[in-house]
Amino acid sequence: MEKVLCIDDDLSLLRLYQEELAEEGYKVVLAKDGKEGLAKFEKEKPHVVVMDIRMPVMDGIEALTAMLGKDRQIPVILNTAYPQYKENFMTWGAEAYVVKSSDLTELKQKIREVLDKRKKGGRP
Amino acid sequence: MVDRILAMVLAGGKGERLYPLTQDRAKPAVPFGGIYRIIDFTLSNCLNSGIRRINLLTQYKSLSLNRHIFQGWNIFNPQLDEFVNLIPAQQRVGEDWYLGTADAIYQNIYVLQQDRPDLILILSGDHIYKMNYREMIAYHLEKNADLTVAVIEMDKGLSRQFGVLQVDEEFRIIGFEEKPGEPKTIPGYTDLILANMGVYIFNTEILARRVIEDAKEPGSQHDFGKNVIPAMVGQDRVFAYSFRDENRKQAKYWRDIGTLDAYYEASMDLVAVDPLFNLYDSNWPIRTYYPSLPPAKTVFEEYGSNRVGASYSSIVSSGCIISGGKVYRSILSPNVRIHSYSEVRDSILMEGVEVGRGARINRAIIDKRIRIPAGYQIGFNPEEDAKKFTVPPSGIVVLSKGTMLA
Repeated sequence: MEKVLCIDDDLSLLRLYQEELAEEGYKVVLAKDGKEGLAKFEKEKPHVVVMDIRMPVMDGIEALTAMLGKDRQIPVILNTAYPQYKENFMTWGAEAYVVKSSDLTELKQKIREVLDKRKKGGRP
Repeated sequence: MVDRILAMVLAGGKGERLYPLTQDRAKPAVPFGGIYRIIDFTLSNCLNSGIRRINLLTQYKSLSLNRHIFQGWNIFNPQLDEFVNLIPAQQRVGEDWYLGTADAIYQNIYVLQQDRPDLILILSGDHIYKMNYREMIAYHLEKNADLTVAVIEMDKGLSRQFGVLQVDEEFRIIGFEEKPGEPKTIPGYTDLILANMGVYIFNTEILARRVIEDAKEPGSQHDFGKNVIPAMVGQDRVFAYSFRDENRKQAKYWRDIGTLDAYYEASMDLVAVDPLFNLYDSNWPIRTYYPSLPPAKTVFEEYGSNRVGASYSSIVSSGCIISGGKVYRSILSPNVRIHSYSEVRDSILMEGVEVGRGARINRAIIDKRIRIPAGYQIGFNPEEDAKKFTVPPSGIVVLSKGTMLA
């Protein structure tokens, strides 16, 4: 079963991820900040990571950098309310950006895309 | 002219084929020409080009390089936003050392993020040449390029040693092969190729994007020449810049002193009557760390007993005393002592070497502070020398640092 790690400090959003992504057939792992996310990343070895950028303790940029250091190919989807982060090339190591929304249609699409691409082994 | 330029100098080269000169130091820290280190030539190019914002990326046996930079290159003014920073491989991204040239930039991407220069000049710390990078930058801007690669014309026969670029009429790069056997020649020539000098100017954003992409590419060796540039050709504006040599001799001078024999040859060129590489051009000064030392001196002129202190066709650095011995066509680094009745020919003696009474040295490289005992002979008996020392194909003899001779 494909495993998705979701990292966000908004707990209501985490619950939403859990529900909707499980419904799609993914195994969902949750974390409430970058530090916890990084620990779960190492322990659970997810296939894809969905992560917020602005979080307490450890922000998404730092966590992204650390994750890429452990596994350069890990696809990370940044899920943020601030599209200007796209200009920050510290975030360019991410696979995709999705602007935050309670409608998860776009996010689900991206997760599917990213996982399919990875299966094919092509250039992201 | 844009002014936000940041130089990133890759100074982590191991220089394996220069062993044992690289036994205790990185290749950029290998002494050259009596008083210089190889890195001085690249840094002097920066200085002479007015580029004073420099990051040196180091990783391998960097102590002597660090010391040299602190002693000799601590000349920039931070108040004017000038600097030369030493950045060791920090393993900030992952646990790896630099996997390749592009990975060295990738692992330091936060440096680019902080600084956000318009252009990044990427240089190698182990080449010897004179180049005005400002002219290359002007060319880069004129071509509206994403990346400009400095090239030098080379004989086709040397293609297996270099990255070879294929260009169109406009000098836009349309092909890039690493060490090909059947290289593409310059349009209009059958015997000349364009070789990659390892000098790159990137627009910062493109650089960041491309090294991040490369970092995620499975199977990549994370090298500019092998991976990043070939991937960019075709999708980005990549141009070749024909190197204009500030050395101003007939043939352009650019050397990757990769082997002991190449090192020896390039060094011996310096003591020729009209060397290919001119150290004495006041328009292109080469800076280094030079300690405050007394002047070189020769003593004794007892011609009858042949106790004569003399040097012929040689470079003799400060602090040397040639006391009753003779030196021919050699390079003496600072503080070398030559004792009576000894003879040194066609050799490179590094700092603090002492040649004992009556010793004879022929075609040798003697590393720092080695003492040659009285009467000892080096370079006269190839079989004996090969047993004790390093002898590369040309037959020169190399004594590594720390060698003790009875």
